[in-house]
Amino acid sequence: MKYAYYPGCTLETAAREYDVSARAVFRELGAELVPIPDWNCCGSSPAESVDYLLSIALPARNLALAEEMGLDIVATCSSCYLSLFKVEKHCQRDPSLRARLSEILGVAGLTYRGTVRVRHMLDVIANDIGPEKIQARMRRSLRGLRVVPYYGCQTVRPFMEYDGPDLPESMDRLLAAMEADVVPYLYKTRCCGGILITSTKDVGVKLVSDLLAETDGADCIATVCPLCQMNLDAYQAEVSRKLGRRVNIPVLYLTQLMALAFDLPAEEILLNKNIVSPKPVLEKIGWSAGK
Amino acid sequence: MALQSFNLTREMLDHSFAETVAPDKEKLLTCIQCGTCTASCPTAYAMEYTPRQLWRLIQVGLRDEVLRSDTFWLCTTCYSCTIRCPRGISVTETMATLKRLSVAEGVEKKDRSARFYETFMDVVRDTGRMHETLLMLRWLLRTNPLQAFSFAPLGLALLRRGKMPLRPISIKGVDQIRAMYAKVREMEEKEEILR
Repeated sequence: MKYAYYPGCTLETAAREYDVSARAVFRELGAELVPIPDWNCCGSSPAESVDYLLSIALPARNLALAEEMGLDIVATCSSCYLSLFKVEKHCQRDPSLRARLSEILGVAGLTYRGTVRVRHMLDVIANDIGPEKIQARMRRSLRGLRVVPYYGCQTVRPFMEYDGPDLPESMDRLLAAMEADVVPYLYKTRCCGGILITSTKDVGVKLVSDLLAETDGADCIATVCPLCQMNLDAYQAEVSRKLGRRVNIPVLYLTQLMALAFDLPAEEILLNKNIVSPKPVLEKIGWSAGK
Repeated sequence: MALQSFNLTREMLDHSFAETVAPDKEKLLTCIQCGTCTASCPTAYAMEYTPRQLWRLIQVGLRDEVLRSDTFWLCTTCYSCTIRCPRGISVTETMATLKRLSVAEGVEKKDRSARFYETFMDVVRDTGRMHETLLMLRWLLRTNPLQAFSFAPLGLALLRRGKMPLRPISIKGVDQIRAMYAKVREMEEKEEILR
């Protein structure tokens, strides 16, 4: 198993722990991630708010680069995943767009043929690798850890390629394979607010509050998107003020939980990067900070 | 919400408005006002017009009323409405078109959001990547530098964990990105298409 890896901008900065743990668990599972050379920002949701053609052309440059590698793409960020994935959908819908795209990529000396498949990392872990392989590699059970599986919106919507749009289950199955206590959660794919929390903070904090208010009794939240992780993790002081009670729940990447279950070294899990420290709750699974 | 009345004049109505904003005008015109979009929308509570109301305004052709509203600026592009709409309307995409159109016409209500998205795209043009620190600095300078204080606690928390990039990042092919931006602009001007 070999994939063209598109980490996306955040994984180089605010989501280092996602990048490092993802590379480590893929290596452990015998799947290779080859970074797309000199990849660029996909444009995320700001692109389509500013310029439609750029919102197609920016991700398309990465698709063209991956096509030269002859590998399918794995995207770790849900917003990147959707930006890259939608290019072909839009080209199929509007043939004139394909011609325009050729012209735009032409000035960069690139060609997009529409042959590359774009996958979310969750999809690849759940369906190409699968729970059995994860179980076989496990060195530490997550038994006793009550985990809220939070998928976020663009992880599955709008194209629903590998899981349901409302109450997906692929991450639940992976967590269950690691013997975690998967908490039933109806807000699995309700939006975290994305970048709205920066430009319109009150509304963003309300959305995060709605999500966190329903996590009582859980030990941690598992995510597969850097934007979701940041929003749920970094605004808990504001959320506590809004809800009138203290909210303090660690938000881990699925790949960090996998790295814990594989008993990988601390420098491949990077628990110091999460804002709400996950270390106290991890004592439940026998992980200690001294290690 | 109480019924709202407009003192309609012929000049207020733009009957081709649905065609301008929706990638699938025919579908938008079939909206039955069921309200599934509004019920699915996590930010509808904060909007001047709920999504359902907005589609009716678009059908009627009340162009200015629509473009001056804050509704689409509160869309987080979560696609809850899109996957549920019984008419299959491209709701989320239409919201994005409305953002671009309201900026093009200079009537955007949420100018801080609009400037944020533009600054994001400027940073990508200049470096090929999104750079959180540069984006925040440039955006605050463009809008309200004093607001920096409200972001200070978050900035500090990120800085302490080495999560805030301080060094500039630039890809090797940044010239390709700039050339693509220029090409896109040239095509839009030549074909007179909406950005």
